[in-house]
Amino acid sequence: MVGRRFFAAALRTLHGDPLMALGAVLLIMFLLAGALGPLLPIGDPTAIGVGPRLSPPSQALPLGTDELGRSNLPRVVGGILVTFYLAGFAVLLTAVVGVFIGLLAAYFGGYVDGLVARLTDVMYAFPAIILGLLVSSIIGPGTFAVVIVITAATLPLFIRVVRSVALSVAAREFVTAAEVAGASPLRIMVVHLLPNVAGAAIVQLTYALSIGMLIESALSFLGLGAQPPHPSLGSLLQQGATYLTIAPWLVFPPGIILSLAILSVNLLGDGIRDAIDPLKGRSLK
Amino acid sequence: MTALLVAEDLTIDYITPRGTVRALDGATLTLEPGTSLGLVGESGSGKTTLGMAIGRLLPSYARRVGGDLSIDGRSVFALDNDGITTLRRDRLGFVFQSPMAALDPTMRIGRQVSFSLGDRARGDDVFTLLRKVGLADVEHVARAYPHELSGGMAQRVVIGMAIARRPSLIVADEPTASLDASIRDQILDLLMALKEEAGAAFILLSHEMSVVARYCDMIAVMYGGRVVEHGPSADVLNQPTHPYTRALLEAAPGKERAGQRLSPIPGVPPVLSGPSTGCSFAPRCRWAEDLCHRTRPMARDVAGRITVCHRAEAVAEACDDNAFAEN
Repeated sequence: MVGRRFFAAALRTLHGDPLMALGAVLLIMFLLAGALGPLLPIGDPTAIGVGPRLSPPSQALPLGTDELGRSNLPRVVGGILVTFYLAGFAVLLTAVVGVFIGLLAAYFGGYVDGLVARLTDVMYAFPAIILGLLVSSIIGPGTFAVVIVITAATLPLFIRVVRSVALSVAAREFVTAAEVAGASPLRIMVVHLLPNVAGAAIVQLTYALSIGMLIESALSFLGLGAQPPHPSLGSLLQQGATYLTIAPWLVFPPGIILSLAILSVNLLGDGIRDAIDPLKGRSLK
Repeated sequence: MTALLVAEDLTIDYITPRGTVRALDGATLTLEPGTSLGLVGESGSGKTTLGMAIGRLLPSYARRVGGDLSIDGRSVFALDNDGITTLRRDRLGFVFQSPMAALDPTMRIGRQVSFSLGDRARGDDVFTLLRKVGLADVEHVARAYPHELSGGMAQRVVIGMAIARRPSLIVADEPTASLDASIRDQILDLLMALKEEAGAAFILLSHEMSVVARYCDMIAVMYGGRVVEHGPSADVLNQPTHPYTRALLEAAPGKERAGQRLSPIPGVPPVLSGPSTGCSFAPRCRWAEDLCHRTRPMARDVAGRITVCHRAEAVAEACDDNAFAEN
């Protein structure tokens, strides 16, 4: 019952905001392509010598082949899977940790808040790429390093937003009323603060997702992310860039998809933000 | 009869980035079980700070500098976390100024009310409580979110949550300030009826003498972080012994003839950063003499009540010939 009402409201919102609807449709397409890619009859992304090396797109090989004669289409679809799901997993991890820390800081205030705020500032000042080089040189390049770097880079964004929203919520009288009714700090944070910061956290989640995809691609481009033979959008871009003048079909599909994916996530985030707070202006129109 | 609440020379500072502000400057107050007390004062007089101190609900930047506040003889500042939680839950009920801020916007009314009833609450208990505060169609109200209620309905819900556990002390901080004049009396009548039924003591924080005069047995007037006059309502209203009380009564509408102006109190209330050296009202007081500016007045018994004024007798005498009470 609640689910149906939620979907009805979501459909109405999408109907009134075509840009957001575009973002949602694109995002769903990419997610489906990534998730169903391995099941589709488009070939094996790691099989070598499927066709001639660096052959242009044809009916049998819709996106051509790379320098090892691997079919490019399954590689791009596989890259979507790696990029989306690595970024998504890392950002969800960020969301859980960030919301928890942000609520703690806002509700308890004092030294806890001061410590969290200063640590957040330090993390915020650290460039993600430098962090990526540091992490991958310590624990070695690969997906685990990517998850850690994305989490570390998006965590301060999350903590800041959740903390600032929760600070204003925690000062309101219903929190005092709950304290009078004998609610424990944990209960106040979960029952009263969390639902009130959820909107802001969801919007931040979408922005963090686009940052996460960018970081994953950048690290893979530098060879610090997904390791061969597994493709990611970033490593495909890097390989394709080598043959840009003689085989441009290698670099454009992953590049366009990455741009569209980040655009669609941002459009969706803007749309959700506007839907939650209709008084705020649009950033993109 | 032992007092339910005793505040003894309670001094509280707010530590802000722009410096320290003294919110309570040695406030002293007693309250007997089952009685109703009106705490009157203008904004910044410390009445909300005193009200919140009862449940140790002060903001994190508040510091207790001195004095104490105890309920049933036990200091609220000495209680451990479990102790204060139990005290708040079982003995105290708070009604806030703005009912909309006192309800969680993301939660249905029924769920919030059941939280205030405690873990063993059943759906019927929620309905019973909502009916008790005069709401009709309680099933509908319980399903609604706070923004779907009117201000008056929301305040009734907040009152219901405050009395849910039959507290022995209800603190209402300007409970009608954000409501229409037409429903103010209904809300206050409801509060008084529920207070009588539960046999609870009641503290009404207000800046309106007329409201307090009608509903409270006792009046405590606050100024500059101190309780400057504290006694039975009829005495305080008929013959104020503190010049500030007198000025408040003169500033209240009701007694003037057509065309006559109300007399405002000249000057502004003080913002203290430490203990006041003299009487904090002296700069605005027409009875003030040298002594008032130099020496801090102490609480003393004058004409059956406690007053904090060097010149209380003179003020009381001047009032003999004109009574301010409405009833």
